[in-house]
Amino acid sequence: MSTFSGDETAPFFGFLGAAAALVFSCMGAAYGTAKSGVGVASMGVMRPELVMKSIVPVVMAGVLGIYGLIIAVIISTGINPKAKSYYLFDGYAHLSSGLACGLAGLSAGMAIGIVGDAGVRLLRRKMKLVSIPILRRNKIPTFALHHDISQCPAAQAFVGMILILIFAEALALYGLIVGIILSSRAGQSRAD
Amino acid sequence: MAGASSSWSHALVQISPYTFSAIGIAISIGVSVLGAAWGIYITGSSLIGAAIKAPRITSKNLISIIFCEAVAIYGVIIAIILQTKLESVPSSKIYEPESLRAGYAIFASGIIVGFANLFCGLCVGIIGSSCALSDAQNSSLFVKILVIEIFGSVLGLFGVIVGIIMSAQVSWPSK
Repeated sequence: MSTFSGDETAPFFGFLGAAAALVFSCMGAAYGTAKSGVGVASMGVMRPELVMKSIVPVVMAGVLGIYGLIIAVIISTGINPKAKSYYLFDGYAHLSSGLACGLAGLSAGMAIGIVGDAGVRLLRRKMKLVSIPILRRNKIPTFALHHDISQCPAAQAFVGMILILIFAEALALYGLIVGIILSSRAGQSRAD
Repeated sequence: MAGASSSWSHALVQISPYTFSAIGIAISIGVSVLGAAWGIYITGSSLIGAAIKAPRITSKNLISIIFCEAVAIYGVIIAIILQTKLESVPSSKIYEPESLRAGYAIFASGIIVGFANLFCGLCVGIIGSSCALSDAQNSSLFVKILVIEIFGSVLGLFGVIVGIIMSAQVSWPSK
């Protein structure tokens, strides 16, 4: 009993860390994609030409799934008891790495979803019509009506939405960085 | 270092790896199918409702239903792969470190695939429902919203990739 070290059960925590990384990141990516996708579809009914421009939140949410995939693959290829002994320390390090990346990805995904949904719905309003002077072929100067996106306050708020999305994506990046640092600590518990 | 252990390990080492394997395989197929079904009913109810006034959308929007169904198929494939990895081991070797690790690997692989497909199916279902409703309003929107749906269905593929990588770790001790 006194020589039981528990190292046989270390892979349980390691594999569960890989599972946590992928599952929670997928949860965040799914929430972000679905919530902002509904906003894009709702806005697209009124302004179909702006749908492709509004796919930015969806792409940013998809990247969260890739962060989780990276950590899950790093962890599951790091569990190799035939090459290097796998102690409880390594199991807990991998568990914490996976939880860090996964839960950060979940929260970032929820932020991206809510901000993306609110932001793309700003574009529903029509852009302002301005008249600009143009020169026709017969050299007669005249005025033409033109949709000027820079005059539309909603367009400037769209740029603000992109900035907010970048800050939200940075949260998932923090989780990825900490996850990589933690999983690199596995294998450093003994001097051998 | 005598006595260096945790009570979690004391509890875990008493559970047979076959328990973990069986639960993992069941979760991989059961929860994937749950996700697919959830997505299909979300999309299907919106599609049928919108098709009352715009019957032209029905055949095109079946693609969204098929994206949800693909998630269930991923679960079936991984469950079949995992159950071929199960081997019988003599009872003296069941609690050896190698067979414990094999049981944990199957369990984690099943959880990954099951829950990734659950959230993927939900996501694709919600977007498919918006796709049907916006297609009923304006048919040029169908392809654009389908692009968002493709982003959503990639999440299920991530789960399958990691599940297969992890199932390569399964090696039972030889007799």
